[in-house]
Amino acid sequence: MTLLRAEIKDEEHEKKLEKALKSMTGFTNSYLKKTSTVLCSDPTIPSVVIKGLAEHKVSLGAPLCPCRFYDDKEKEAKDGYWNCPCVPMRERKECHCMLFLEEDNSFAGTEQNIEFETVKKITGEMS
Amino acid sequence: MTLYEKKKFKNFDEMLTSYTEPVLVDFYAVWCGPCQLMSSELSALGSRLSGSLKVAKVDTDAYPQLGDKYKIEGLPTCVLFKDGKEVKRLVG
Repeated sequence: MTLLRAEIKDEEHEKKLEKALKSMTGFTNSYLKKTSTVLCSDPTIPSVVIKGLAEHKVSLGAPLCPCRFYDDKEKEAKDGYWNCPCVPMRERKECHCMLFLEEDNSFAGTEQNIEFETVKKITGEMS
Repeated sequence: MTLYEKKKFKNFDEMLTSYTEPVLVDFYAVWCGPCQLMSSELSALGSRLSGSLKVAKVDTDAYPQLGDKYKIEGLPTCVLFKDGKEVKRLVG
């Protein structure tokens, strides 16, 4: 009975993660256009970051930046400074996750859209 | 903890002092995009400088006490250790 409950819980968690991954992919695509920024020429980078944002959205209730170490993730997620889009990004277009790049960045590609299936495939191969 | 081999150490300090050459430690998180980029570069560096530099990586989600001890903030952060002591760091 305990094993079955654990399996159902895992399935529910996977569904939540998939939904969050879709949501963060959608958010990324809109925010790229809104800020006139572009994706990294290597799609692995934004895919990994989007997955990190989705993981935090599910575990913490907010898309906390996955490219930082925090003493207290829950506190930081409530505080909001590092919730994506973080304050440095909003104020100065500084995204050290390399998710939103200015066109003159040496890692910049030309795309302002990444497919959910691409994100899922790349991050699925890493899990 | 190394890029090429998983070795077991009692603790982080033991890992640092078990090598006579300097140790470059890459503090990262699994879902940090730039950390993936850094990892590949460090892998190549470790290969080129084999014998004169050891490269290791620490998952800060798995080892938050180390992230805390070394005051890690931005990821990736690379810290160069010599004789167990920090001599230089680079924040990505």
